[in-house]
Amino acid sequence: MKIKVCGLKYPDNIEAVAALKPDYMGFICYDRTPRYIDTLSADALATIPASIHKTGVFVNETAEVISQLIDQYGFDTIQLHGDENAEFAAAFKGRVTVIKAFGVDNDFDFDKLNAYASYVDYFLFDTKTSIYGGSGKTFNWRILDKYTLNIPFFLSGGISLDNIGELKNITHPQFYAVDLNSQFEDEPGLKNIPKLEKAFDIIKNRTLQMKYGVNEHGYYGDFGGAYIPEMLYPNVEELRQQYLNIINDPDFKAEFNDLLKNYVGRPSPLYHAKRYSEKYGANIFFKREDLNHTGSHKINNAIGQILLAKRLGKKRIIAETGAGQHGVATATVCALMGIECVVYMGEIDMARQAPNVSRMKMLGATVRPASSGSKTLKDATNEALRDWIANPVDTHYIIGSVVGPYPYPDMVARFQSIISEETKKQLVEHTGKELPEYVLACVGGGSNAMGMFYHFLDDEQVKLVAVEAAGKGVDSGHSAATTFLGNEGVLHGSRTILMQTPDGQVVEPYSISAGLDYPGIGPQHAHLYKINRAQYVSVTDDEAMKAGLLCSQMEGIIPAIESSHALAQLEKMKFNPTDNVVICLSGRGDKDLDTFIKYFGY
Amino acid sequence: MNSEPLTISYTMNRLNQLFAAKKENLLSIYYTAGYPALNTTVDIAEALEKAGADFLEVGFPYSDPVADGPTIQHSSEQALINGMTLDHLFEELTELRKRVTIPILLMGYFNPIVQYGIERFCKKAAELGVDGVIVPDLPMYEYEALYSTHFINNNLSNIFLVTPQTSPDRIRKIDELSNSFIYLLSSSSITGGSLQLTNSIEDYYKRIKAMELKNPTIIGFGISDNATFKKACEYANGAIVGSKFVKLLAEDDYMKKIPAFIQNIRP
Repeated sequence: MKIKVCGLKYPDNIEAVAALKPDYMGFICYDRTPRYIDTLSADALATIPASIHKTGVFVNETAEVISQLIDQYGFDTIQLHGDENAEFAAAFKGRVTVIKAFGVDNDFDFDKLNAYASYVDYFLFDTKTSIYGGSGKTFNWRILDKYTLNIPFFLSGGISLDNIGELKNITHPQFYAVDLNSQFEDEPGLKNIPKLEKAFDIIKNRTLQMKYGVNEHGYYGDFGGAYIPEMLYPNVEELRQQYLNIINDPDFKAEFNDLLKNYVGRPSPLYHAKRYSEKYGANIFFKREDLNHTGSHKINNAIGQILLAKRLGKKRIIAETGAGQHGVATATVCALMGIECVVYMGEIDMARQAPNVSRMKMLGATVRPASSGSKTLKDATNEALRDWIANPVDTHYIIGSVVGPYPYPDMVARFQSIISEETKKQLVEHTGKELPEYVLACVGGGSNAMGMFYHFLDDEQVKLVAVEAAGKGVDSGHSAATTFLGNEGVLHGSRTILMQTPDGQVVEPYSISAGLDYPGIGPQHAHLYKINRAQYVSVTDDEAMKAGLLCSQMEGIIPAIESSHALAQLEKMKFNPTDNVVICLSGRGDKDLDTFIKYFGY
Repeated sequence: MNSEPLTISYTMNRLNQLFAAKKENLLSIYYTAGYPALNTTVDIAEALEKAGADFLEVGFPYSDPVADGPTIQHSSEQALINGMTLDHLFEELTELRKRVTIPILLMGYFNPIVQYGIERFCKKAAELGVDGVIVPDLPMYEYEALYSTHFINNNLSNIFLVTPQTSPDRIRKIDELSNSFIYLLSSSSITGGSLQLTNSIEDYYKRIKAMELKNPTIIGFGISDNATFKKACEYANGAIVGSKFVKLLAEDDYMKKIPAFIQNIRP
C-alpha cells in the first residue's frame, strides 16, 4: 500500500513529512483552497528525496500553467482534480505520471472512467463535494466494488486515525494508495507529524497484512491457520490475543532494540563483497547475520520471544532444534533471563551436532532426545508440542522458524524482519536507493528468508529468490526441496506445502545442511510460492559445499552450509552490471567445520 | 414442556440412535487400524461388539501424531510399517456393515484426509457405514469455516474435544456445532496417561455437567480400568479406553482376551 500526503505548503513541515518517507507528496496548485501553495519556493521541494513522487494537484487549470509549474517545482506526477477530460490528461501522459481524480457518491457512474483508461496512470477517488475535495468526509467505500477497470487507484477523502482501521475491509485488487490530508493537520496545510506517524504505522502493517501477510484467522491466501488439537488451543489463543499488543508496546520495543544492539551486536553489517561482485558481474552485498551473537539470525527471534514469554508470565521455556542453532539461541536467551530451558532434539541430530548439544548444556539448558519416528527435527517438534500440551500454563514454546500454528509464522517473521529493515537503510548508504534488484536467502522452514524478504514484499520490482536444499538432487530420493517435491497439506499446525507420501505421511527430508533439513516450509512462503511473488529454486549439497569454499577463499568468510545454498544460486543467475543483489548470510560456518573438513579433506 | 428445539438438520445416524437409547455407562474402545497386523480391523471390531462395547473408534495412522503418547505412537508407526493407508483401511471396511452393527468412528490426523481429498474421504467413509470422525488437529474455526459442509452432507458426525482449559463460551459453541457427542479430555495431556482425579479435574467435570449441554459427553484419555471407568461415568454418559486396549493388542492371542478385557472395565 502506497501513501500520499497531500496539501503541503510550509517548508519546515514539508521537510518533516518527507522524513516519514511517504510515496507521494501532494502540492495543491489551486488558489481557492486554504492549502494552496501560493508563493512557495521551489527550493522547499528540492530537498525531497527522489524516491518520493512530487505531485502537483490542479483543478481545471490550463495546460500551459500546469506545464510551467511542472518545470518550476520539478513535479514528476500531476493530479487532475477538476473536470479535465481524457484528451487533456492524455497530453501529459508519458511526460509525468498522471492521476485523474473523481468525486464519488452513491450514484457515481464508474462507466465514465472508461474514456480515461488509456490516458492516465492512476485514478483517485475522493468524496464528492461541490468544492473539489477537502471536505474531510469519507464516502461509502463499498461503492468501490463497482469499479472494474484494471487501473490502480488512490483512496482519498476524510481518512483519519478513527477510520483508518476500516481500510482493511477494502479488498479491491486495484486499491493502490491512501491519500492523507485534512484529518492529519493542526491547521490547513500544516501536517501533524505524530498523527501521520501513527497512520503510516497502521497502513504499513496493514499492507503486509493484506496482500502478502496474514489475515485475522491466521491465513496467507490458502495457507496457514492453526491446525492444533484442543489441548493446545488455550496456549495458542493466549499468544494470538497478546502478541501484537505486546510487541507493539513501546517498552517492549525499547527492550528488544536495546538487546539487539548491545547483546546481539546489531545492526549486522551489509557488506559489499567486491571480489564476488567482480566475479558475478553485479553489486553483490552480504547481509552479515553470521556476525550476530551465537552465530546466526536465530537469536533475533529468540530474543523477541523470551521478552514476550516474560510479559506473559511464563516460567519455563521449551524449544525444538535441528542443527542446534535455534536450541543454542534459545538456551542463550534463557540464560540471559534466568529462565528454565528444555530443548528437544532428535537423537540422530544430537549425534550429528554434538558440539551444539554441549553448548546448550553449558548454557544451562536440558537437552531431551526425541527418539520417536525419524529421530530428527520434525520429531523434536512433535515432542516439544507434547510437552506444551502437558504444561499449558507456565510454559512458552519458542518455535525457531516461521512455521507452526498462527500466530507463530507472523510473530517470528516480525522478529526477523529487522534483517530487511536494516538492509533497506544500509542500501541507501551504499547505493543511494533502498531497493535492490534481487534478494536471495536459503529456506528450510524459512525464517531468515522471511526476515530478509519482509520489507521488500510490497516493492514488487524487487525479485525475491528463495533457495531450498536439493540434497543429493531433487530426483535422488534424498532431498529437502519442498516446493519441488511437496504438495499442500497440514504440518505442525499450519496448512502449507510439505513433502509427503500419497497417503499423507510426512516424508523424512535430507540435506547435508541440518538447518534446511525440514519437510515443509512456512505458510507465508507457501503463499509467496503459489502466487509467484518469490521464486523458489534449489541447490544441491555439492553446489552448496563448493559455494561455501569459494566464499571462504574469495571473501575470507566461512559461511554456514545453509547460507552457502543461497551463495550457490549466484552461479545460476544472469545479472546486469548495475544490478544490486543482496544475499542473506544467515549464519557462520564454525558449526559446519567437521562437515566441510570431511567433504573437502582439509 | 422443557424439551430443547432440535437443531440437527440431518437424519439420525447410529451414534444418535445409540445415545437416544442408552444414557449411561457407555463404553467405547479405541484401536489403531493395521496394528498389530493388516486386515484385522473388522475382526477386532466384531470381537469388541460381541464383548459388549457400545461404539468404537478406529484410528488411521499418521507419521506425526502430536496428541498421542508413546503407546499409540508406537501402534501408528507399526501400522505404517505394516502398510496401512486410508485406501487400505477403506478396503478392509468394505465388509464392516455385514459383520458389525455398533457405531464406528474414524479417528486420525487431518493431513492424510487432506491428501485423500476431504470430500472424497467423507463420501467414502459414509458409504462404508462409518458414523463419525474425530480429527484432533482440525479445530473448530477451520472445521466450521472451511470444511463442515462435506461432513454434514454425508451425515458424518464430527466430534470435538474439550479440555479442562476450554472456556465456557467455546464449549457452548462446540455444543452447537456437535450432533452426536462431545469428547471430554480428562486432563490436558496426550493419550496414555492415567486419570488422576484431582479436585480441579472433578470441578471441571461438575462444571461441564452443570452446563446441561444438548449433546451427551464421553470422557477419554486416562481411562484404563473399572475404577477410572466408573469415576468417569459419574460425570459423563460414558468413557473411552484407548492406550490400555492398544497394549492388549501387543500380546499373544489378543483376540481371545478381548471379552475379559471388556468385562474388567465394565463388569
